[in-house]
Parts: sequence; structure tokens; C-alpha cells
Amino acid sequence: MSRLMALLKREYWENKGAFRTTPLVIGGIYIVLTLMFLITFNHFDNEFQSLKELTRWLTQTDVALRGDIIYAVTAGVFPGLFSLVLGFVVFFYLLGSLYDDRKDRSILFWKSLPASDTLTLGSKLLSAMVVAPLIFWVIYVLTYIVIMLIFSVVVLSLGENPWTLFLGIGSPFKAWSMVLASYLAQSVWYLPLYGWLMLVSSFAPRIPLLFAVLPPVVVAVLQIWIEFLQTFTLKKNLFGIIGEWWANSPMITSVGNHGDGDLGLTLGFPLTDTFSHEATIVNMLDRLFSTHMLIGLAVAAVFLGTALWLRRRATES
Amino acid sequence: MNNVIEARGLTKRYKRTIAVDNIDLQIPSGRIVGLIGPNGAGKTTALKAILGLANYEGELSVLGKNPAKDRASLMEEVCFIADVAVLPRWIRVWQLIELTEKIHSKFSREKCLEYLASTKITQDHRVKQLSKGMVVQLHLAIVMAIDVKLLILDEPTLGLDILFRKQFYTNLLNDYFDEERTIIITTHQVEEIEHILSDLIFIQDGRIALDCSMEKVQENYVELIVAPDNAPAARELKPLYERELFGRHIFLYENANREHLKELGELHTPSVADLFVATMNGGAA
Repeated sequence: MSRLMALLKREYWENKGAFRTTPLVIGGIYIVLTLMFLITFNHFDNEFQSLKELTRWLTQTDVALRGDIIYAVTAGVFPGLFSLVLGFVVFFYLLGSLYDDRKDRSILFWKSLPASDTLTLGSKLLSAMVVAPLIFWVIYVLTYIVIMLIFSVVVLSLGENPWTLFLGIGSPFKAWSMVLASYLAQSVWYLPLYGWLMLVSSFAPRIPLLFAVLPPVVVAVLQIWIEFLQTFTLKKNLFGIIGEWWANSPMITSVGNHGDGDLGLTLGFPLTDTFSHEATIVNMLDRLFSTHMLIGLAVAAVFLGTALWLRRRATES
Repeated sequence: MNNVIEARGLTKRYKRTIAVDNIDLQIPSGRIVGLIGPNGAGKTTALKAILGLANYEGELSVLGKNPAKDRASLMEEVCFIADVAVLPRWIRVWQLIELTEKIHSKFSREKCLEYLASTKITQDHRVKQLSKGMVVQLHLAIVMAIDVKLLILDEPTLGLDILFRKQFYTNLLNDYFDEERTIIITTHQVEEIEHILSDLIFIQDGRIALDCSMEKVQENYVELIVAPDNAPAARELKPLYERELFGRHIFLYENANREHLKELGELHTPSVADLFVATMNGGAA
């Protein structure tokens, strides 16, 4: 256990820039943009003459609707940039995870420590699935709190009550929990992709990005070509499968209308109707306990097993 | 006798070449073994097999374990420095120390800091900020602070100045080595380790060309220096090797009659380097 913790720490130290500085920068941008908005609001050409007028107008809107909107923004819009960048960070982290130390030969040092390859690989997968999302989530929550504090000060200075206006009605804890749940569900959902990236990382002699992207492109293009040649049509090619997988992701991506006319959070991208895209824990679990996921896990196991096999042999020549 | 390393028929093939060819090897504990061979002789490959870093054919047991299967648990008892400095470049010295401490149960932080105190390395340095020699110093400080049964050093002092090299081998002998431990060293600077070795193994073309203790080297091998007119007589006695230096002929003999040789010229104990050259060119003389 202490070995695993040490290995997780090593991953964090090595990737501090991606895991910690990046979300901090995003949080900083949010806060700066908020301040810029507050400072220049009065100069916008809009129907409200001042912040005071806007605030007064807001206090007169329907409380339940206001609560729904605040909740939707907290969980569906606010984390957007965090979620997007987290995806890139994890992608490139995994692509380098078993490659970088082979390239600079420090793998010989890591292998001189009494930590098994399985534990090493596990620590890297865990960093991608849990550590990075958790850090991004914490910084998202902190940024949100800072911005709410700024708004509260402004609203207080305008003589209104921030608690009844927004603080007390948006169920922030529920929103934060939903985002965290969706991050973790997404980590499980994307295991086949993570497995693939680690596999590529364990064998690519150079430019792992190329090795990660090229084979699926070649396969998909071939499939499309075969489809074109034959009279009957193949239902799906690899692009279609990957695209659908991405569209069905349990990540909260946006705010949308889910049938009943109410405003709700959206999971993934509602391009298919394989799964319900309404953001609920039940719908996240529905994905994680589906046949899709089962096949995905089998694929991930093959990729990760091969990556481990290659890692054991990485010092051969 | 308790052997730290036991190999029988150890073989390593790459696609076209045989890097290690059917080696038998027994290394008992409490020895300092010099593993010496020309470039590409298979030294590093053999060490990789011993460290569980490469697959192999044949039987191999290191501290009673199978290195191919039990690398992680073997590394609790074995430490190694491979070739040139391979510490991760991004890491800071304090992070490296903390990691090693957490992962290696037999690491002593005090000892490591003690060794580091004699260098210019500070805890806040990143490895990439250090010179090549300093990286080696850091790696050696870490390795020497781990209490293991087998230490393998593959060209450990590459890039170090002569002052530090001398100091290092002195420390290795005085502070680190004891009867419980075994050290295997490969290096091209044979002269520097000659006096600390207890055993000598020469490797050539993946085979063991010589495997004996230093006492045996002194007993069995002798060098004879003769004037040119005595050279034909010396040549008659079947030397292993002959060379010429400043007009004098130098012959190296194995298990020769010393009384007989004395009549021809001066006798010397050969240096490891000379013995090495003679063995590598064996049969050519």
C-alpha cells in the first residue's frame, strides 16, 4: 500500500504541470473573466443600466426556476472547460505513461526498485482514472466557491441577500457530487481507450501519438472501403463504434431538454438512443453495467494485459 | 557453500546473434567479482538476465530466486546501476530520496545524506540540472545507502573524475563491503578495480574465457621479461601470449615452472589488463 502511494506520488510529481497547474490556470481564467465581467458590466450595451438593476430583476424571478438554472449551470456549464481539458490531459498522460521512461532510459532505474510491473502499471492507470479527475474536480469546486464569494460580495454591496438570490437555492453539493460521479463513471467507461493508449505507450518506438491514431484510422478507412465495395452495407465501422462510444460517455457535457420540458443536465451527446442521455446516477450506472461496458472491459483487459507483457520485456535490448 | 548466483547453461539469443552462450557460473557470497570483456561480449546481457530485465534460456537462480519471474521481490535484495546514469531527469533529489525510502525497505536516508554531503548536490536540485558526473554521484549515494546482499555495478564510474573514482572504490571497500555481501563490477578501467577484486571473470563472445580467484591468478599466471636473445628459448615454453615493449619481449605463462623461467629473465605477476589482453588473444601467440 505504501508502495502504491509512493508510485502515485511519483506520477503526480512528474505530471504536476498537467495534473495541477493546468486546472489551476483554468480556474484562474474563470476568476479573471468574472472580475472583468463585473468591472465592465456597466459599459455593456444592454437592457440593464447597472448591476444593481440586474440584481433587482433577478430577485423577482421564480425561485424554483432560478434554482434549476443555477444547478444546471453549476453541473453542466461551469465544469465544461475543466472536463474538456481533463480529457486531453489524461489522453496525453497515458500516451506517455509507458513511453517516456523508455525513451530517456530511466526505466532501468525504476526497474531497480522492488515494485512489480503490475503495481507500476496500476499506479499509472489509477492516476489517469482517479488522481487526475479528482484534482480537476477539487479545483473546479474551489473555483466555483471563489466566484460565488465574489458574487456574494457584489450582491451584498448592492443591498440584496445573496443567500436567497442564489447561494441557498442551487443545491451546489448535489451539483458537485454529480460532476464527480460523472468523472469517475467516465473513467470506467473509457477503460478500453485508456487500455489502448497504455498499450501503444508500451510498444511505440517513437511518436506514440501516431501509433495511437493511425491504426484505428487505417482500420476504419478499410472498413468504409469494403462497405463501399460490397452491395450489402456494414452496419458499423470502427469510426462509428468509437463515435458512438464517445457520444454515450457518462460525462456531463451540457444542459438540455429531456422530454418532460424541464431543463436538465445531459450525459454525453444525444446522437443515439442506446442509452438515456439525462444526467442521473441511474443512467451513469446503466452504462457501467451494460453489455457495451462488458465488451469494453474485455477489450481493455486485452490491451492492458498486452501492455503489461510488453512492459516486462521493455529492457530486453 | 552458499552461492549468490548460480547459472547453468545460461543462454540469451537475439534474433540472429547469441549474446550469451551456454554459461555456467557460481558466485559465492562475500566476493567482489570483476566481470570483464570487450565491447559486445555479452556482459550487460548476462547482467540483465541476472537482474530479471531480460528473458533467457537455461537455469538461473539469484539469491534462490528466479529473476525472470520474481524481479520485484529480488530487487529487495539486489541493487544495480546500469551502464550510464539513468535517473529520471525531471525528478528532484529530495523526491528521489523519498521515493526510494518508501519503496525500498532497506534504504537508509541518513547514509544517503552522508554520502551526498561530500558532493555539491543539494536536495532541491533536479536531476537535469546536474552534470553527468553529479548524476552518477547521486545514483551511487542512493545505491550505497541500500542494505542489499548483491550489488551490481555496470560501468558505475563512467564520466567521473579520477578523484571521485578513487574515493568511490575506497568507500565501497571500507564502508559498504562485508562478508555478507557480493559485488559484481564491470568496467573498462580495469586497473582501478584490480586491487579490490577477489574474483575475476572474463567474457568473450558470450562465453566465459576465464573464471578464477585473484589468488589463483597470482599463483597460476606469471609474466616473464626477457632480452631479445632469450626470446626463442622463452617461446619454446609455450607462453599464452607474447608482446614487445622497448625492445624487450614479454611472455605470459599459465602454470609454468617458475624456477625454469627465472633463468631466462625477470618474473612479474601480470596485471589484470595484461592477462585480459592475453586471454582475449589466446592461441594467437
